[in-house]
Amino acid sequence: MAKPKVASDWLAGCAGCHMSLLDMDERIATVVSLVDLRSTPITDFKHPDESGVDVGILEGGVNNTANEEVAKMMRSRCKILVALGDCAVFGGVPAMRNFFTIEDSLKRAYVESESTDDSGKIPNDPELAVPTKVRALQDVVPVDVFIPGCPPSADAIFFAISELAQGRIPDLKGDTLAWH
Amino acid sequence: MATITINDKQLEVPDGITVLRAAQANGIDIPTLCDHPHLTPYGGCRLCLVEVEGARTLQPSCTLPVSNNMVIKTNTKKVLDARKFVLTLIFSERNHFCPYCQVSGGDCELQNSAYAEGMTHWPLSPNYQPYPMDASHPYIILENNRCILCRRCVRACGELIGNYTLGFEERGANSILVADTGIPLGESTCISCGACVQVCPTGALIDRWSAYRGKETQVDVTNTVCVGCSVGCNINVLTRNNSLVRIEGDWDGAVNEGVLCEVGRFEPMKVDCERIATPLIRKNGALKAATWDEALSAVADELKKASDSVAALISTRQPVEALYGFKKLFADKLGSSLVTTTEEGLFTSDAAVFAESGSKAFETDLKTLQNAGAVMVVDADLTGGHQVAGFFIKRKLAVGTNLLVLDKKENGLNKNAHKVLQPTKGVNADAIKALMAAVVKLGLAKGNTSVKAADLDSFASAAGLKTDDFLDAAYVLTSAEHPVIVYENGKELAVLQELAALVDGKLLSLKGEANSLAASQLHLDKALKVNGQKAAFFAIGDDEASQKAIQEFEKIPFKVVLSTYTSSLTGVADVVLPSTNWLEQDGHYINLEGKVQEAKKAIAPADETWTTVQALNGLADKMGIKLDDNWTKEIHNRVSVVEISK
Repeated sequence: MAKPKVASDWLAGCAGCHMSLLDMDERIATVVSLVDLRSTPITDFKHPDESGVDVGILEGGVNNTANEEVAKMMRSRCKILVALGDCAVFGGVPAMRNFFTIEDSLKRAYVESESTDDSGKIPNDPELAVPTKVRALQDVVPVDVFIPGCPPSADAIFFAISELAQGRIPDLKGDTLAWH
Repeated sequence: MATITINDKQLEVPDGITVLRAAQANGIDIPTLCDHPHLTPYGGCRLCLVEVEGARTLQPSCTLPVSNNMVIKTNTKKVLDARKFVLTLIFSERNHFCPYCQVSGGDCELQNSAYAEGMTHWPLSPNYQPYPMDASHPYIILENNRCILCRRCVRACGELIGNYTLGFEERGANSILVADTGIPLGESTCISCGACVQVCPTGALIDRWSAYRGKETQVDVTNTVCVGCSVGCNINVLTRNNSLVRIEGDWDGAVNEGVLCEVGRFEPMKVDCERIATPLIRKNGALKAATWDEALSAVADELKKASDSVAALISTRQPVEALYGFKKLFADKLGSSLVTTTEEGLFTSDAAVFAESGSKAFETDLKTLQNAGAVMVVDADLTGGHQVAGFFIKRKLAVGTNLLVLDKKENGLNKNAHKVLQPTKGVNADAIKALMAAVVKLGLAKGNTSVKAADLDSFASAAGLKTDDFLDAAYVLTSAEHPVIVYENGKELAVLQELAALVDGKLLSLKGEANSLAASQLHLDKALKVNGQKAAFFAIGDDEASQKAIQEFEKIPFKVVLSTYTSSLTGVADVVLPSTNWLEQDGHYINLEGKVQEAKKAIAPADETWTTVQALNGLADKMGIKLDDNWTKEIHNRVSVVEISK
């Protein structure tokens, strides 16, 4: 059996889940021996193979039109989609802004922030992605596996990936199940 | 007994209990969020749904009483699916994002329930409707966004404390937890007992101090006794890295069954007095650091010179061991001319003399107070101190207990009372006699009295009140069997006891501080009057000295203070000895109902701070005296107002 192909990417998150993935230390060698790691945001290839991968992993919630595109591309190119971390699973810390209007959030960030002088303005270049309400990944594309945690522990990630590599859907419980 | 079957296991359970309690008693786990063993079942969260044979739908086990031959299943697919669905709905309702909640990671019952059901995500995303948050209270943050509407806090506030501050406004998804009529919690009738915080299953009610200071899995828990007053509540002290994190009421505690007042739960967190780090000796007008050896030698020398002309004072917040050692050293060995406590037996000496004259204990316990159908409070303000005893009364008012207050001052319980007698003149004894006359006049007497019905008018006018007031009060007092009379001090004990006999009631006095009863048993209850003493030893510990005590103390030429904190006392002392605070020492306390309780050390003291017992023994050594620690015997030597446990 060929090694399953795995691709990952990040959306509205802090990269902490990918850091936690690296936190599995020498077990990363086991992961590499079990799977064919394709594109990731921390390696050279940035997009999953057009021909498709077996497992797609996404970190972060969906908070703008660019995230939406990345999520949809990953979904269309992978067989099993994994939501990695609290932001992808629930919306996470970025979803705090959903309690305010997008306009207010942008104003707070670009105009009213303590480090901004009088010239602060909300970026409006047409090439920029358009901010949206922050959504959990499952609200944008169907998700097959959820690995909650902020970030998920290296143990949980290692367990999930090794299960997936061996053709099983991981069943998180006990110590590996922690939302935060 | 009823025979029921839970998950194919046949069980014999008492009639009338709920399915949930029956399951819990037999080690069968049914998850729940709104249920609390100390509160009446509410059936609000639906997490405890079970399948009952013959029932059309799933039933909430927390409100379903058992009946004979009931067949219950707690783990079928239907039940498990329903649980997950209930949790799904709860999570979809408000802001239950864990990463920014202080109870996440073990302390949240909602999160734990989700883990127990193996939930990796929320099937329904939340609707992001913001709810009000109230941070107006000095100790508590009320965060409606985390609320699951279980109403444990509302029930605790009403059923356990009798304060009825918390309630709900609006209906359904718009329900919000409010104080009083929707005013900020900090401006409400909240009395800061913190019961709501202790029962909250999520992060909706947050204790400001302990938030983020350590989860339950990270703290050490010491089960000990509060020394805030003579009620002697059983508490759990949570510490982390030898620092105080939080104080909680011990649900299994015999005295208070989980509830605490502001003094016990929150005030110890506020202490920011300056600690004394080493012994100090005054040299050339200024206090200079010294060793314990030097300081104790200096004290021993002066005490020897002063001979019996010594005034020795101790705080009634000290453990019995300290009170006993203190009494042994100063009264028995040195024969000091004044040996007493800062409280001077104000709340105990009259009652103690009364007990001695009758040669037997005559007071009742707190349990009787909780079960009394009628309570009379004389002078005792149970909203200022001894608040937990007040909760025991207030919580019963809604279920029919009648409350009568007799107090010349404005009493905090007046607004709860069915009848208030506030005499405008005379002494309390006049009013009590008028009350007895009223009882006789109404033909409600159950015992004998020298007071006659015809005396009602004259006693009533002596108290400056109308006769009708006393007739009303007599009805309130005699409305139930065995009323309990709570009094502050024993000045009118003779008439009070006559009244108790007349209405077949019981008496209970408050006694003052944590160990006032123990001090009384050791005869440490003399009036504090300095009469030319040459030296003084003041073991104030972590207590605060009264203005009178400070003034009397200042009259004495050579002054020693054993104290935890820097104060005006240490400012005038010639020798200062640094002592532990209440959390840093072991010892015993005798509460107002005579229960001997052990307080345990929760925090390790700094090397240079000694307990009072250590300091007394050190001092005795310097003077060539040996102190014993046989306090139990001596405590029982004096007839006590209330039976003291062995």
